[in-house]
Amino acid sequence: MTRPRLFPTQEIGSIARPRWQIQGQHRQPLDPAARAELERWNGKLEFADPADPHLRSFLSGDPNALTTPEIRDLAALFGLRYFESVGLDRVYDGEARRIEMYEFAVRQMTGFEFQGHVRSFDNKYYLKAANTSEVGLPKPYHLEEFDFVRRHTDREPKLPITGPYTIADWSYNEHYLGRHAGWKGRAVRRSAQREFVLAVAKHAIRPTLKALIDRGCRVIQIDEPAGGTHPDEAALLAEGFNAATEGLDAEFTMHICFSDYRSLFPALLEAKRCSQWTWEFANRDSADHDGYAILSMFREYGDPRKIGLGVLDVHRDEIETPEVVEDRILRAARILGDPERLWINPDCGLRTRSLDVARAKLESMVEGARRARERLEGPSAAGASAAPGARPA
Amino acid sequence: MEVVASLTGFFPRPEALVAATRDLDRGRATPEAVEALTRSTEREILGLERRNGLAPLTAGYLRWQDIFRPLAERWGGFTVGPVTRWFETNTFFRQPVLHHPPERAPGALADVFPGPAAGLGPAEAQILLPGPYTLAGVLENRSGETHEALVHRLGRLLAEEIAELRGRGYRSFLLEEPLLVVRPPRGPAAESVLAAYRAIGGSANGGDTIVWTFFGDAAPVFPLLGRLPVSVIGIDLSETELARLPVPDAPIGIGLGCLDPRTTLREDPEQIRALAQEARERLRPPRLWLGPGGPLDLLPYEAARRKLEILPLARSMVDGGPR
Repeated sequence: MTRPRLFPTQEIGSIARPRWQIQGQHRQPLDPAARAELERWNGKLEFADPADPHLRSFLSGDPNALTTPEIRDLAALFGLRYFESVGLDRVYDGEARRIEMYEFAVRQMTGFEFQGHVRSFDNKYYLKAANTSEVGLPKPYHLEEFDFVRRHTDREPKLPITGPYTIADWSYNEHYLGRHAGWKGRAVRRSAQREFVLAVAKHAIRPTLKALIDRGCRVIQIDEPAGGTHPDEAALLAEGFNAATEGLDAEFTMHICFSDYRSLFPALLEAKRCSQWTWEFANRDSADHDGYAILSMFREYGDPRKIGLGVLDVHRDEIETPEVVEDRILRAARILGDPERLWINPDCGLRTRSLDVARAKLESMVEGARRARERLEGPSAAGASAAPGARPA
Repeated sequence: MEVVASLTGFFPRPEALVAATRDLDRGRATPEAVEALTRSTEREILGLERRNGLAPLTAGYLRWQDIFRPLAERWGGFTVGPVTRWFETNTFFRQPVLHHPPERAPGALADVFPGPAAGLGPAEAQILLPGPYTLAGVLENRSGETHEALVHRLGRLLAEEIAELRGRGYRSFLLEEPLLVVRPPRGPAAESVLAAYRAIGGSANGGDTIVWTFFGDAAPVFPLLGRLPVSVIGIDLSETELARLPVPDAPIGIGLGCLDPRTTLREDPEQIRALAQEARERLRPPRLWLGPGGPLDLLPYEAARRKLEILPLARSMVDGGPR
């Protein structure tokens, strides 16, 4: 039996949407930049047949040469090949079919009404919904996209899905809060928020996870970027995770980023079915600050689970060198005391970087992981062993 | 007892301005077009404030990207740093980075406040500023000054700013101080807050200085808040139980943050009236100031507008109007 190789690699979620996808879905003729982008990436990744007459018409400026579903399929294939060609062990489609992680998920559910845009910062905004009635789910989502990915890759797909805590935290709580009589002070708000999180977990996320698992999905990343927003709600974050995964059998990971992780210990460790903590670290790693020192908390609390180690800062264009990636991996392995617990990934989705920058970062990540492997196992093992969880051919 | 109602922070941009500012960033709109829309939106918000009997007036502070930005861009010693979470919300600000002790030049902030161009005279305008403790606490301090010295220095600079604005006819100065209740100062830090506000309180020359706290429970720090030499202390009623507030030694105006910007659920004016009655009986303030418990730009425009319309109803009931 082949021993699982050290430091397998994975992506986290979204990548920048190609210009040709955006224009195509808006039924605009491709401009020269979009055309060149599509041709260039197809030359590299071969995700579409360049002789296909519909593709040729699309490239020639006919906005109706491909239907919207066909454009989305093409974009999903592009995302898949983008990750595969870098050499990642676990892949997905770059979330090519989703508007974004909050709005897409909420639009699948009932009980929400979109209210308008809220400023995130500067001139950046996001659309925010209010929960106005009991949370429901007409049908599970992400199923078709998962089927498509599985049909088109021989790697292990890792499906990302927005978690219940984040859905609730990024929404206004009207329904569950409104059921409480009297003034809505802190204690009432907390109680109502728990009801809201658990309702999303039980009535929307869990049915979707179950349906995905029934379709063969084995690795699911539950995204909780809001997880660190309210440190005193770490127990609720874990409770929501447990409710969403209750009685389900798959490999669940939890992605959190840009948070004060220390404040989440030990309450978060109650997320019992989480087998991998996939967190951002590189963003906080610098010459005068060890961004990976926080990993010692896992030793402190005796938590043996795997770590999805963020080694790429997704907010900077500067490309981490393979040496920097290698150093980060080896540092983390030393702190944890067990290199076999590490998966290697970017801090977060690379959507905010250009496709070229993101690709260069991922290539560096894969090479850095190879170097770290070679350092610990020797040159012969660096590329020979199998990735954990690789799908049998 | 006087009862006042006003906005106490930013108002959200309406959808059209959201779209225009996005387009500006993407090169699809001109600065002139966005300026024209901003100007008309300021007038729209002023109209909204006036129709609802609010005073002083803000015009929404639509141009400010965050509460710290004008100072970080115009005072000496600062640069504008990384995107940073705005307390426990899903919104962010750019963290000011202080490289050496801060300094200000006269007139540095002259054109950042709403004024006649927005249809607003200085005497009726609400000046918004970050409080010295919050500013000192959120910035990255590379200046070499201690936190306490920095709080005091920022207080003095804000006092200079207020004195200059007072000279131009502005009368009402609201300082946002969420950090005072989120991370209450103790010991020397508390003394530095007192010193900073002594400077600020002495600068308004008959105008109003309002310290507005939010996102945290004011009860633990209320003994300190009650000693600040300012006109009004604002508390967030979504976080603070009035029954736990100690009675101030000297009369001080009380601001009741009675609209929760973290939910679209509308508050019941009758419940606000009851809370105001409780505040009046317990704290015996010379003035009650009703406003949002935090910046309403945590809500989309229409939801904020609906919330704002609660204020005149509540004020009327607090004043003894219809129940």
